[in-house]
Amino acid sequence: MSVEDRQLCGDNAAPYVLGALEEHEHEEFRRHLESCAVCREEVAALEVVTGALPAAVEQRSAPAELKQRVMASIHEDIRSETARELSGKRARSARGPALAWLSWRALAPGALAAAAIVLAVVALSSGGGSSSSTTRVFHAQAPAGADVSLRVSDGRGQLDISGMPQTPPQRIYEVWVKRSGGPQPTDALFTVTSKGDATVGVPGSLKGATVVMVTAEPLGGTKVPTSTPVIVANLS
Amino acid sequence: MGVMFNPLRSAGGSASTERLRVLADEELMQLVYRSKADAFEVIYDRHAGAAFSLAYRICSQRALAEDVVQEAFLSLWHSRTRYDRNRGSVRTWLLGIVHNRAIDALRRRSVRDRGLVHDEGIEERMVAPDRTDLEVARREEAREIRDALDELPQEQSQVIELAYFGGMTHVQIAAKLQMPVGTIKGRMRLGLSKMRMALGDPAEMVQ
Repeated sequence: MSVEDRQLCGDNAAPYVLGALEEHEHEEFRRHLESCAVCREEVAALEVVTGALPAAVEQRSAPAELKQRVMASIHEDIRSETARELSGKRARSARGPALAWLSWRALAPGALAAAAIVLAVVALSSGGGSSSSTTRVFHAQAPAGADVSLRVSDGRGQLDISGMPQTPPQRIYEVWVKRSGGPQPTDALFTVTSKGDATVGVPGSLKGATVVMVTAEPLGGTKVPTSTPVIVANLS
Repeated sequence: MGVMFNPLRSAGGSASTERLRVLADEELMQLVYRSKADAFEVIYDRHAGAAFSLAYRICSQRALAEDVVQEAFLSLWHSRTRYDRNRGSVRTWLLGIVHNRAIDALRRRSVRDRGLVHDEGIEERMVAPDRTDLEVARREEAREIRDALDELPQEQSQVIELAYFGGMTHVQIAAKLQMPVGTIKGRMRLGLSKMRMALGDPAEMVQ
């Protein structure tokens, strides 16, 4: 590329491949590339270098728990895709056999008290939380330092979670819904970000539900809880 | 935003995953295209270290780097049907995403936080992976790239590092160094061009 060419084109190829153009310049130069073979050629040559620059940094191992978080998201995405495909083929009532239930009594005061020792559960707000015209917000029991609320709108629930501890190794958080019997497993399995945040939709309608809770379960989830709840949102 | 996991009962580290490890990235992506999580897991295992290393170099904070890498791999997954092997390797594609997202994260951080470096995990150096031929070739290439960068005149390597690893625009660099914008652009071009010559035939570079 000649000096004249560079001046004509603003000498922007190098800052472009380095990501160092201002936003509006970047867009202008990107459009310019569509019509300027000279700049396209220079960009292609310099991108070989920027493509190699990551190898110049000191190499580190990715934290082991990061893989768990990533793969959890991937599996959830596949599950959602599968569910969408199935929903187009099957009537809602034709879903699989009923899942096993666990007696809610197994999780009643004794178990929750034990959880309180370990997790320093904060007090559950009584009275069911605040309400707006179509949305109700319930504050949930959660480990110390965590803030969890259940937002219910038109029968649909969403857990807004912050400050939660990371799941133990090889564990995943699982959402359960309790109605008249024991807690029913849901498809909602999740991890939290490094800051302990998560926004989790509760699958299905919460009509008739009295409690939404979360436990830490083996990867892939379980049909019955195997640990005491770490989050309990009382809707009654 | 948190992430959710699928309730399909999967067997991580299965024999099928081990069989996949002999496949090239491009072959794995054909399986990933069909939403095969075990193939994606092999892609993750193969490139997570490089992705985290780059994110950490840019962000200087472990938690932020982790979030960047998580977002990048999810982006790779969600755009898997658009992968075109003719437009570059999986590794280059992934690291490009990591770089963009890390720079975005860096620019979102407040000026006050920018001084926070080496906050945690700094002692975690790379655990040497299996000494496959590919890893040996990658290490050799990494050494060549570091050498090429080190051999540049300081004023050229400085602007490249401030831009690529520091997320600064040419205008910001010009202000920081109190130089004309044209001078900064020229140094970037000269530095990259010299590195391009030092690296030789791109077809020989490890992907």
